[in-house]
Amino acid sequence: MAIDGVTLQILANHCAAATESMAHTLVRTAHSTFVKETEDFTTGLTTVTGKTFASPFDLGATWFIGLDYERALKLVKSYEEGDVCMTNDPYSGFVCTHSPDLHLWHPIFHEGEIVCFAVGHVHNTDVGGAVPASLSRANVEIFQEGIRVPPSKLYRAGKLNQELVDVILMNVRMPEQNWGDLKAQIASMRTGARKVKEMIARFGIDVFRGGTEMLLDHAEKQARRLIRKIPNGEYFFADYIDEDSVDGYPCRIAVNMTVKEEEIVFDFSECDPQVTASLNIPTGGNPRHVLLMVPYQYVLYTMDPTVFLNYGLLRPVSSIIPEGSLVNPQYPAAVGMRSLGVMRLQSCLMGAFSQALPDLIPAGQGDGGPLINVRTTDTKTGRKLMANLNPITGGAGATAFRDGTEGSGAYFSFLKNTPVEINEAEVPVKILRYGLAQDSGGAGYWRGGTGTTLKFQTFSPNTTITARNRDRCLFTPWGASGGGAGKPSSFYRNPGSNREVNLGNTDVVSIDPGDVIEITSAGAGGAGNALAREPWRVLKDVQCRFVSVLAARDEYGVVIEGGEIDEQATLALRERMGVATKVSGFGFNAERLEFESTWTRSNYTVLINALLKLPVDWRFFVKHRVFESVDNLRLSGAKVCEDDIKAALRNVANDYPEISSELAFS
Amino acid sequence: MSFRVGVDIGGTFTDFCAFNDVTNEIHTLKVLSSPDKPGSEVIDGIKALGVRYGVSASDVVYFTHGTTIGVNTVIQRKGIRLGLLVTRNFTDVLELARLKMPDMYSLLSVRPEALITKDRIFEVSERIRADGSIEQEVDPATVERSLADAQEVGCEGIVIALINSYRNSHNEQAVKAMIQRLSPGFPVFCSTDVWPIIREYERTVTAVIHGYVQPRVSQYLESLQQALLDAKVNAIPQVTKSNGGVMSAELGRTACAQMILSGTAAGVIGASHVSKLSGHPNTMSLDIGGTSADVAFIRDGQPQFGIGEVIGEFPIFIPSVAVTSIGAGGGSIAWVDDLGILRVGPESAGSKPGPACYGNGGKRATITDAFVVLGYIGQFDLGYSAIEIDVTKARSAVDVLAEKIGKETEETAQAIVDIAVSGMYMEISKLISRYAVDPREYALQAFGGAGPMMACFVARELGMKTIIIPTTPGVLSALGGLIADIKNDFIKTVFVELGGAETTVIQEEYKSLEDRALEWLREEQAYEGDYQLIYSADMRYRGQAFEIEAILSAKDVASGDVTAMAEAFHREHELVYEHCDRDAAVQIVNLRLVIVGASPKPIFPEHNLTVQPATPERTVEVFTGGRLTSVSLFRREQLHPGFTFDGPAIVVQSDCTSCVPEGLSGNVDAYGNLVLHADH
Repeated sequence: MAIDGVTLQILANHCAAATESMAHTLVRTAHSTFVKETEDFTTGLTTVTGKTFASPFDLGATWFIGLDYERALKLVKSYEEGDVCMTNDPYSGFVCTHSPDLHLWHPIFHEGEIVCFAVGHVHNTDVGGAVPASLSRANVEIFQEGIRVPPSKLYRAGKLNQELVDVILMNVRMPEQNWGDLKAQIASMRTGARKVKEMIARFGIDVFRGGTEMLLDHAEKQARRLIRKIPNGEYFFADYIDEDSVDGYPCRIAVNMTVKEEEIVFDFSECDPQVTASLNIPTGGNPRHVLLMVPYQYVLYTMDPTVFLNYGLLRPVSSIIPEGSLVNPQYPAAVGMRSLGVMRLQSCLMGAFSQALPDLIPAGQGDGGPLINVRTTDTKTGRKLMANLNPITGGAGATAFRDGTEGSGAYFSFLKNTPVEINEAEVPVKILRYGLAQDSGGAGYWRGGTGTTLKFQTFSPNTTITARNRDRCLFTPWGASGGGAGKPSSFYRNPGSNREVNLGNTDVVSIDPGDVIEITSAGAGGAGNALAREPWRVLKDVQCRFVSVLAARDEYGVVIEGGEIDEQATLALRERMGVATKVSGFGFNAERLEFESTWTRSNYTVLINALLKLPVDWRFFVKHRVFESVDNLRLSGAKVCEDDIKAALRNVANDYPEISSELAFS
Repeated sequence: MSFRVGVDIGGTFTDFCAFNDVTNEIHTLKVLSSPDKPGSEVIDGIKALGVRYGVSASDVVYFTHGTTIGVNTVIQRKGIRLGLLVTRNFTDVLELARLKMPDMYSLLSVRPEALITKDRIFEVSERIRADGSIEQEVDPATVERSLADAQEVGCEGIVIALINSYRNSHNEQAVKAMIQRLSPGFPVFCSTDVWPIIREYERTVTAVIHGYVQPRVSQYLESLQQALLDAKVNAIPQVTKSNGGVMSAELGRTACAQMILSGTAAGVIGASHVSKLSGHPNTMSLDIGGTSADVAFIRDGQPQFGIGEVIGEFPIFIPSVAVTSIGAGGGSIAWVDDLGILRVGPESAGSKPGPACYGNGGKRATITDAFVVLGYIGQFDLGYSAIEIDVTKARSAVDVLAEKIGKETEETAQAIVDIAVSGMYMEISKLISRYAVDPREYALQAFGGAGPMMACFVARELGMKTIIIPTTPGVLSALGGLIADIKNDFIKTVFVELGGAETTVIQEEYKSLEDRALEWLREEQAYEGDYQLIYSADMRYRGQAFEIEAILSAKDVASGDVTAMAEAFHREHELVYEHCDRDAAVQIVNLRLVIVGASPKPIFPEHNLTVQPATPERTVEVFTGGRLTSVSLFRREQLHPGFTFDGPAIVVQSDCTSCVPEGLSGNVDAYGNLVLHADH
């Protein structure tokens, strides 16, 4: 039925009110810190076919706008009034993206017919499995990542499936918390249902049904209109995760983005194969899977903050995701740390968008800092405890118009930190430093936001530190328009002492009483030519200790003596430095430039094309063998070319007749 | 004669409420605010009260005052240039805040620039442990150097906020003493003197706002005190506080953080009073002005309290009447997006240029213009606001939009109202879920210039059945000031587990809070009358990351009954979160004590009801329900207790217009409040 624009806008407000109310109910009644403080959850309403048409704006994680529940909904045979269904299996319906995320959906009936679903998820701190909190890069198959519930009925016609609950709670480390959060989720479903019924009473069933479809259509129209503002073209970008497994080789995420009129295609064919670690991004082959679409939605919203944030935004886009690649892994690949994969994917897509919309897209965001969890014993009480310390967030990338935000605003804009005083009062740790990391932001006409550092000491034996999402020790956030790359992240045990250990990208470490841990996130990329930055801004940065006197000289060519700018020396120095400066294009750090001098795009293409022909199980292994031999070649000083890659592949083929036919070259 | 006078200074108008102690009459008055000469409007108003109602200055026996000077100082960034001294290695507390960005979805979201940038933040070597013990005494050399550095970069005052000082303020006080010795008279503020709560960002930002506004607020209050003396007002001026109480203006000069939300809080106090009088103890107050709407929930006649209210771009963490501001008001602008959808707000025409119908240069249609086009407003003079409504200007502003969406002018105006109301519905729905309120059990009390205009429509959308419009909706904050008690809050963070070895700490700390509270009331506030002590504690289950406040009985506190204290917490937890766990360990994070000294209250007489249908002054044509309809117009002063009428109707009074759509009926209660009932 036809619904006029005014009614649609009013209905949109009511739908938003419904999902906001669901979110507030969830936050209010939840038990865990993850929900209450970290806000790692979603709530929403979907159409009968599972397309999310409304979600809250102020609360919850920002990664899941327009989540598509269709495949998961279909895995439940039939629905009755009063059902609440759940799943946390990343391979059943591809709505859940790692096992701690417990998704619920609740059919809402009107006169015996389903008219929509209330949906939502909560990140549970632990769902069992090999490690506390269920997530580690070292996991290699889904079975290590905790209990998995396929799409099942938690409530059948209003009656709780107690046996299912009992099975879940028996398999997790903190059952009271999971159960508490689950009850809050159920309360949120009920709020959603009540609100939908109120809407049907107010607008009538026809307007409600037609209107929810129109909300999707309207978002699609908005998206198409915005995409038209993006110049047509092909935009390629690649970024890397430092290690594709514990102490592994770099993992490359690459996209070829094609913008044509009002549609966009993301081609991930040049992405690495799925890895034998938990960094895989489970999309189930859905070309519009929400995990692939996060940056796209941020871009649209940034272009026009009045867009309706729903599934309709995704309709004009599609992607190419080869089976068995990092962005479309096959069961039973581990996926727990997909957040690290997704963050790098975001960086990669932003690099592509940045070429199309240089004035809108910030340089590479500071990341690679972890979410830190401490498991220790309180020596005074003997009590074992597990607690989240601060997320070590990076700074925001510089834009074409201003410096990046310090220490936050990157890929986790929704996260909150934990006050130092709360940490010290609750956990037997002493915080030695929490603040911004000087000189970590990439230099540029606009400076990248600085990263953060957390330094702390623990006092009990058998203390375990988990540092999820550790990365960016090697390849750092990129600069834009001639701006410099951000500085790398780091992770040290007992820094500055004779027991210093560089832990690099390690994500789980056991430490001794009195040990000191220091973690720093990467700084964000800068934008524009650093030598053109007005000296007074550099001086202000020095006064604010975002930049040291040394870096002011070396990176900005600004000489500061006794707290003042030496103008003549600055002029002279900038002139000398000017010769070698880049004034456009991406700014990559030396490690990346060196890596890419060996692994050029054409060399990598040879490798990827060969790997894609192999059975999925072999790809990771063969990649490692090829990297091994190319490394030897590189260390011998040789320039690596496509023939070298082919030769390396042939050597592997010779060793393994099982795959020699797939690796045969003309 | 003796009068009690309440004054509330707002952005555009300064409101007066004078209560005649002999006749129990209330006189109200609005004069234009004079932001350039703050305080002079108070004197102007007192003169006008004299002229109009025969109130002579020497008849004023009680004087309360709410002001936005603190908020405005922050919003306009006109405070002093401050330096901040922090514990070494923790210099970024303001820059990092709590990380979460204001707009999570935008790649270009920016955090507001801190009131103290990092070039004015300096380190002190010292350390207090989490248990309050001193790990390192203050290193005087670092204080000396930091003070010199701060003065070198032009700081006009210093805030000291050290890690874990909430537990032991020894080091903060030591730094303060050193600064006072090194630089006598230099303004210096300790975070623990302002509000000693755990969480370094929250405590620091509160102290910074306090220090930032203090000299200006103090100066203002001093000149007000002088002006009142010159005007021969002998009553000791009181100022309204964020906590809904009052304190002497003299105390306000050093306790600025406590009066930041002075006017807003007083409005809710006024609303609470009306809610009790009208027999609707559960009320949602809705104060709609030109640019924003303030929502508060009143339960059992009591306002709710919270912390973390927003001042300009920053939160402030002191006990405040919980009020949530929604960015929509009578001046919110309607517009059509590039896909042809009509939208309302968030942009507002504010007080300058204001709605198009004000004729002050506003060209874009606002919510108020829509009401003018519909005929609810502009068919009669508005009284002392001195604003002439220009219907033609309102129509042409709405016409621009009507053309874009292909509707008639009146239909478009109706659409603007409907969309604006649904937007308010969305924002209020969030609050209803957050506070677990059932709107059907609450009455809606509307005040502020645009509150009575929109209230019925908002109530209908929310399913609320009763709407109350107080007798003086335009000056409720000024009235609230007359009702507010003398009140102060005290807090001590203890962080003990109930039933643990440290339980005696609770009794000891409460004792010391009581001593301080009495000292404040008797000596600082110089109040001799009866007082009440209200005990409460912020508690949580071990492992939770947040606390809730539970009221404790004086008896349980005196006897140290920890079981009863725990039970109070379980019950509150159940109430707020719908679950509790009586087996779990309970921690007390903060002990709180509120001291209340009753202020002399105006008496609002109950009138006899003369139940009879009211006679409209005339009828006017209003576009409602899709067509022009004849609607009764009543003058508020002609609606006497007991009078009844049916919607659609318009009730006009000097400070606002109430719109009553079809399906509502109204009556005037024994206290003169307009009570509207919905049939839905």
